[in-house]
Amino acid sequence: MEKVSVIIDGRTFEAVKDQCVLEVAHASGIYIPSLCYNSEVTSSGGSCRVCLVEAHQRGRMRLVTSCNYPVREGLEVKTDTPLVHGIRRGVLELLMARVPDSEVIREMAAAEGLNDVRFRRDEGENDRYKCIACAMCTNVCAEVVGVYAIAMTGRGADKKPATPYYKPSDVCIGCGACAYACPTGAITITEEDGMRRIWGRDFNMVTCSVCGTPYIPEAQVDWIVRTTGKDRSFFDKCPDHR
Amino acid sequence: MGAINSIEQLEAYRQEIAAEVKADLPTVLVCFGTGCQANGARPVAEAFSDIIAEQGLELNLSIGIKTTGCHGYCENGPLVALQPQGILYLKVKPDDVPEIVEKSIKKGEIIERLIYRDKTTSEMIAEYSEIPFYKHQHRIALRNIGAVDPTNIDDYFLAGGYAGLVKALGMKPDDIITEIENSGLRGRGGGGFPAGTKWRSCVAVDSDVRYLLCNGDEGDPGAFMDRSIMEGDPHTVIEGMIIGAIAIGAHMGYIFVRDEYPLAVRNLSSAIEAAREKGLLGENILGSGFSFDIKISRGGGAFVCGESSALMRSVAGEVGEPRAKYIRSVERGLYDKPTVLNNVETWANVPEIIVKGAEWYASLGTEGSKGTKVFSLVGKVNNTGLVEVSMGISIRELVENIGGGILNGKRFKAVQTGGPSGGCIPERMADLPVDFDSLTEAGSMMGSGGIIVMDEDTCMVDVAKYFINFLVEESCGKCTPCRDGLPRMLDLLTDITEGRGGEEHVALLEELCDLLTWGALCGLGTSAANPVLSTIKYFRDEYDAHIRDKKCPAGVCKALITYSIDPEACTGCLLCAKKCPQECITGERKEPHTIDTAKCIKCGVCRDVCTYDAVRVS
Repeated sequence: MEKVSVIIDGRTFEAVKDQCVLEVAHASGIYIPSLCYNSEVTSSGGSCRVCLVEAHQRGRMRLVTSCNYPVREGLEVKTDTPLVHGIRRGVLELLMARVPDSEVIREMAAAEGLNDVRFRRDEGENDRYKCIACAMCTNVCAEVVGVYAIAMTGRGADKKPATPYYKPSDVCIGCGACAYACPTGAITITEEDGMRRIWGRDFNMVTCSVCGTPYIPEAQVDWIVRTTGKDRSFFDKCPDHR
Repeated sequence: MGAINSIEQLEAYRQEIAAEVKADLPTVLVCFGTGCQANGARPVAEAFSDIIAEQGLELNLSIGIKTTGCHGYCENGPLVALQPQGILYLKVKPDDVPEIVEKSIKKGEIIERLIYRDKTTSEMIAEYSEIPFYKHQHRIALRNIGAVDPTNIDDYFLAGGYAGLVKALGMKPDDIITEIENSGLRGRGGGGFPAGTKWRSCVAVDSDVRYLLCNGDEGDPGAFMDRSIMEGDPHTVIEGMIIGAIAIGAHMGYIFVRDEYPLAVRNLSSAIEAAREKGLLGENILGSGFSFDIKISRGGGAFVCGESSALMRSVAGEVGEPRAKYIRSVERGLYDKPTVLNNVETWANVPEIIVKGAEWYASLGTEGSKGTKVFSLVGKVNNTGLVEVSMGISIRELVENIGGGILNGKRFKAVQTGGPSGGCIPERMADLPVDFDSLTEAGSMMGSGGIIVMDEDTCMVDVAKYFINFLVEESCGKCTPCRDGLPRMLDLLTDITEGRGGEEHVALLEELCDLLTWGALCGLGTSAANPVLSTIKYFRDEYDAHIRDKKCPAGVCKALITYSIDPEACTGCLLCAKKCPQECITGERKEPHTIDTAKCIKCGVCRDVCTYDAVRVS
């Protein structure tokens, strides 16, 4: 792996070439907030624009999303300038106006000294809830889980993740990875009487033979058995009692 | 004849078909551009064919009449040109055809009622090239349009077509790139990136496969340059692409064209087919050993798919969304392979540059913007349509000399250039030369070449609102500033135009503009501020009038205007009262009428129908 040296906020760090700026910064103890990026999901990032930083290279400066901007020799990054904070506040204000219910966004905004929104808020009747349309859920479903049960639909402010035709998906395995990965907790997942409900579909849960806790959807077990060849009996017990 | 297997065979074939042309015999050219077809060009062409067949008239090329691509003067369609006289007839109807055949074709007489009549000077002009709309043009990309039949490859050969390819086949790929570099050709799609530089950086990337793309996803409101080229001279685009393919070593190319352009899709498809049959596309082009083919990729009409990375995703069958800008498509473009993407008009310039040389092209235009540019001149101007002029022409020359001035003698107020990514330039800056750098400096941009002329009846806040609304609809929704910032900008603009605007509205707009410019993912978002910033910069007084005085000076914003009838001017003809959909105009015959403002919906019908100019808007 080729090593490069990169300057972040005046300090020089050694990093692997093409590693993203955000990872290098975080590894070095420099915090950059982000929402739509997860290091385990290569297709994530670049959407929310919260992690914008100044990239100075070859005599020019632009704002880049640190979550997917690759470090190269000679790159200088500034994460703590009036421009960076100003644009970040602007982005967070728009997100607050879009999803006033999201605690995550409110906290992130408060950290930037922003507590109020000067624009119209999207409240009342909309099914947006806390969704910031970052596509983390659909990226996880496609890239990590591999079932492609959901995709982003529509465009502009109406863009949202959904199952095909907005009907319960045949291929969804109810694993809930989308909900766990969602940065704002916008995907509802409920469990009751041994059933899990997500994306409008009910899933029977497999119960742990030791503790009796329903812990994994049958459909997910089917999927794992089919794709990995793992023995079905492995799922008799929950991870705590294996 | 089947495939042509060598350059010599091609030239022999060209001579063979040229020998059959009887240049002194008449040719009738009927414009079959989308505009003229919509105006009824097809029945006109049929009427000509019928009479010619009936009377056994021998016309040039023995193909009866010739249907061509768009002549550009769309508002006067259907257009019929007569060769060799070079006469242009406007607004021709099937009923006019027998007279044209009898008088003009047989006797060479001119039919006065069908020729151009200048709206201001009343001068009558029959010669195509003398009509002011055409006189000031310099056609390179449009050189064949209106003269060749786009569905007939032989016609393109007769016009010297594929001579650029022949020359390029004899050149080293590197020399072709140098030629394009030296010509100074900059991308005509909007960004104005030097084409040669792009080609060279693509070649510099080590790869076994390279792709070549043509962007025909023209989406700016009021722009139709690329459509006309694809419809009217598809072989020029194909020839340009083959030359580009030789230069960069690509063997597969795609033309991305929006499916709302059915005629462009049809003419391009048949042209590609014809080029393949003649051995100009496919394996071993003209026996040279070089292979290249083109496929058409049809777009679903999303504006954002004109953005390079979204376009490439769409061609690859994925959702048309842009990706991070630091990845250069000359390195990793279509299917992650080095890719050159140029727009239709850029490709259309390439064959002519190769034929006539870089020096010739570089002698046209300005220091930083060489050659010519095609504009679609639309809006409140007498002559609307498609024009190609040398770079550096002033806005005023475009509007006054070619456009024939403002409609109905109104005051020229501004031009909007560059579509939703561009801005408005006021009349006081109309001496500005039209080139890439001057327009950008003025806060607008060249864009793909849409020019919308505005008169005193245009409200600039309303114009900004129109474009932001367009962008709200067309934002792909991937990044926050564009997806959520544009609807907030629209809110603020709507407030202003409906009388709810406060002093803070303009500051908030400017803040959002800043956010989009710095923070959005792709060019759609980063340039979306231009319509707002340019109107605030040059027409701040109009914003202030809406906000402080709750008035719309141009009389456009419905919430801020009232209609009334001037009793001095009203003759009591009752026409407005009859036409009013709200039935809110009352008055006796020959007595001044009045409008019940409580019921009035400000539709403006009364003002449109009044022949005495008695309806006032305040």
